[in-house]
Amino acid sequence: MTLPATAPAAATTTPLIPPSTHRYAEVIHRLEAGGSMLPDTPENLKQIIGIYKAYAVPMDFYWRDLLYIAEKVFLNPLPAFKYFISQEYLDRPNSYAGDQSKLRIWRGGEKAHPELLEFMARGETGKMPKLLHHLWHDRVNMEFAEACMQAMLWHQGMGGRFNDYLDSDAYKANADRAIRAYFRGNPLMLGLYKLFPEMFLEQVRQLSYYANLGLFWEVMAPVFFEMSDIYDEGGFNGVPDAMDFLVNGIFAVAGRPIYHHVFIGGECYEIIPKSEGFTWLYEAALPYVEAVFYRTSPFRGTKSYNAQAGQVPSDQADFHYGILYADVYPVGSAGIPPTLLMQDMLHFLPPYLKEIYKQHKRGEEDELIQLGITFQRSMYNVTSAVIQALRCALLYPLDDTDPEHLMANRRFFEAQMDRFLRPEARLSDIQSQDYR
Amino acid sequence: MTLLLLLLIPLAAGVLLPLLPLPAATVRSGALVAALAQLGLGLWLWRHPSDDLSLNWLPQIGLRLDLGLDGLSLPLVLLAALLTAMAILTSPQDQNRPRLFYGLMLATNLGLVGSFLARNALLFVLAYELILIPTTLLVAIWGGPRRAGAAVRFLLYGAISGIALLTAVLAFGWLQNGGLDFSFRALAEHTLPSGQQRWILALVLLAFGLKLPVVPLHGWQPLTYSEAPTPVAMVLAGAVSKLGAYGLLRFGIEFLPDAWTAWASWIAAVGAISAIYGALNAIAQLDMRKLVAYSSLGHMGFLLLALAAATPLSLQGVIAQMLAHGLIIALLFCLVGLIETKTGTRAIPELSGLLNAQRGLPFTMGLMLLALMAAAGVPGQAGFVAELLVFEGSWVAYPWPTLVCLLSSGFTAVYAVRLFNRVGFGRLDNAKADWASTSWSERAPALVLTAFVVLGGIWPTLLTGLSEGDTAPLALRSSEAVTVIATSTPQELNA
Repeated sequence: MTLPATAPAAATTTPLIPPSTHRYAEVIHRLEAGGSMLPDTPENLKQIIGIYKAYAVPMDFYWRDLLYIAEKVFLNPLPAFKYFISQEYLDRPNSYAGDQSKLRIWRGGEKAHPELLEFMARGETGKMPKLLHHLWHDRVNMEFAEACMQAMLWHQGMGGRFNDYLDSDAYKANADRAIRAYFRGNPLMLGLYKLFPEMFLEQVRQLSYYANLGLFWEVMAPVFFEMSDIYDEGGFNGVPDAMDFLVNGIFAVAGRPIYHHVFIGGECYEIIPKSEGFTWLYEAALPYVEAVFYRTSPFRGTKSYNAQAGQVPSDQADFHYGILYADVYPVGSAGIPPTLLMQDMLHFLPPYLKEIYKQHKRGEEDELIQLGITFQRSMYNVTSAVIQALRCALLYPLDDTDPEHLMANRRFFEAQMDRFLRPEARLSDIQSQDYR
Repeated sequence: MTLLLLLLIPLAAGVLLPLLPLPAATVRSGALVAALAQLGLGLWLWRHPSDDLSLNWLPQIGLRLDLGLDGLSLPLVLLAALLTAMAILTSPQDQNRPRLFYGLMLATNLGLVGSFLARNALLFVLAYELILIPTTLLVAIWGGPRRAGAAVRFLLYGAISGIALLTAVLAFGWLQNGGLDFSFRALAEHTLPSGQQRWILALVLLAFGLKLPVVPLHGWQPLTYSEAPTPVAMVLAGAVSKLGAYGLLRFGIEFLPDAWTAWASWIAAVGAISAIYGALNAIAQLDMRKLVAYSSLGHMGFLLLALAAATPLSLQGVIAQMLAHGLIIALLFCLVGLIETKTGTRAIPELSGLLNAQRGLPFTMGLMLLALMAAAGVPGQAGFVAELLVFEGSWVAYPWPTLVCLLSSGFTAVYAVRLFNRVGFGRLDNAKADWASTSWSERAPALVLTAFVVLGGIWPTLLTGLSEGDTAPLALRSSEAVTVIATSTPQELNA
């Protein structure tokens, strides 16, 4: 696949517009020059690519299991084994990798990543029955993926038409068909459905978000794998290159379909048909970034918030508990989803990243925190790609010569940076290499 | 002669180690070995009691080298040896001026053990005074930024205590036998008239009240404890302060029983005031060291209450509390010192999130939780056993002061939870959290002390078994109902 090129970085000698006076002027000028919010240093590049690779492997499990739950587990009232993904879904070809894919992003194979399969077999503890791996949490922790899905479901209304469609009559009719088919021959559940139809519908809506996120990550996993391979070949010269790859990737897959199919008794029920025209960028990527990177929810991370003291905004749009604001220090047990993600990534760190961690702070002892901060850096880079992509789609090229256009770009960047003015934002932290 | 060895070990090590051309690490190891040898010898003497030793020294003034080890002194000798060893282990490997430091630590130990072994009042005074010099120097040379003021204050209060004790002892000896014999046996031979007892007791109370210390004689304590280097604070709070309670037990209750009984209710009241004053001040502190210092002051109040009650049970409680508090307070200072070394601060508002498993000090904070629980008298640890004995033993004699002390024990939980909550939980500041985790060698002293604290809780005989036989004869009143119940068989009780 050849990804479309983005606009080259502006390299004017005489600025056409005055410097920004924003608190993050330096970052804004970097964005205007085609850069990322993350400073362009060799170590930053190494860190973010390394963590993309470590993230992509568990993500390869996340998307498969999310689709497995959405399509197969469906409304199982006791889904105790929903994380015990079937072989069919482990072998399910990724639509963006492998020889048969229509839009090949990663040059690797279409089935589950070999490192993932190896980890699933042995874990940290060694070979033992799958159930013991599960109970011991020596596995890929799907709880994080589900927390992301729940954030998307909960916040809703973040652009796109997906959420509105979940309340449409067409959706309800499709869901009704699937519910009746799933509980065919089960008078108890059918009776419950008659009594509480909204309860079942709401569950199906949630399952549609499972499918939505699964399809989103089906794209992101090969993107990150490919970035890792390119880096290993010496293909990226700096952080902006890595960001550009993401921007190009976003445009390449922007129109890919988002849908929700359910397979019951060998028959496919299209709860959200592909024909509805929901797209990867507007119905999955942008809501995901908004819900997971920016908002998520309080009481999820390391600090509890006192809603009665006004520490939790009354408007969900003002929430700021995402990875871009997160305190990566886990406190107490490892039960919180972001910590579980770090634990997942820990198993797949490339050697060069392990080497960096060994050299700083407490070395291997606090690897989990160091990789959490690396993850934060990398997500600032992904967010930068999204911001640049939006600017590309909605505004003007960076090398535009019209000062009015450049000012429009400036206002857009400044508005984006305004979201990081709150003290919890880690944007200023990631400007320094000492933040580890 | 074995008793003499208990003194010769720190004496020889304290003189030789600073003088011999040894590397700093060897000096530290040597001092540690000496303290451990003394501890080992003490344990051996526990199983193989030794006869008292009596050698002439300056017979013209009644000073003889009378040494003995009974149920009152043996536990305290063991405590002093253990805390000296743990303090040396707590001291940094690269201790500044190591020869002098360890020499002075061993000199302090010599004075402490000498005081506990002494069976001659003048010898006791000599050993008691000996402690003041090395401890003052330790604070003055290795202390914190306000060490000069702390050392001067410590020296002044210590000097007043020493003068008061010397005056009391001389007066006591002269009134008893014309100053010919200051041995404990001779001093206990006749009971002085009540009037004479009272003014001697006043001096004794002043001397040992300053040493414990108790309100209002505590002016030196918070500053000294907070400015002293960690190993010195451990020994000062854990062992040296116990000399005050031990002195009151020996001189006040044993030698001056009439005056003690007459003033006991006032002494109990002072104990209760100390307890509540210490606890309330501890709640208000923003400095961990000072919090621990005021906590110690509060617990000294419990000791004074139990001494005032002087029932068999309360006196057992005195010994148990001396041991339990000695271990717990040394552990707390050790842990606070460790936190200060790692984080560079002991200010409570500047610390948070230390329980963080990756970047905090989770092991240290885990032990801190245990130590604070022990200080608050949570069951299963030494503090609970000691406080239970103190309160149960004192209740029959002084219910109101006991109630006040119980209340202050509740306040202990308040400052313990407050400290732990603020320092342990919350967000760890990334900008500040840039310290190495604790090594096993750094954890070792705290681990050993914790082991004893827990052991004392689940095996209370460790705290009371050694002294049971020797505290009962000193009791000035019975424990009444409590004693009856404790010593009766079920059949007798039913009858």
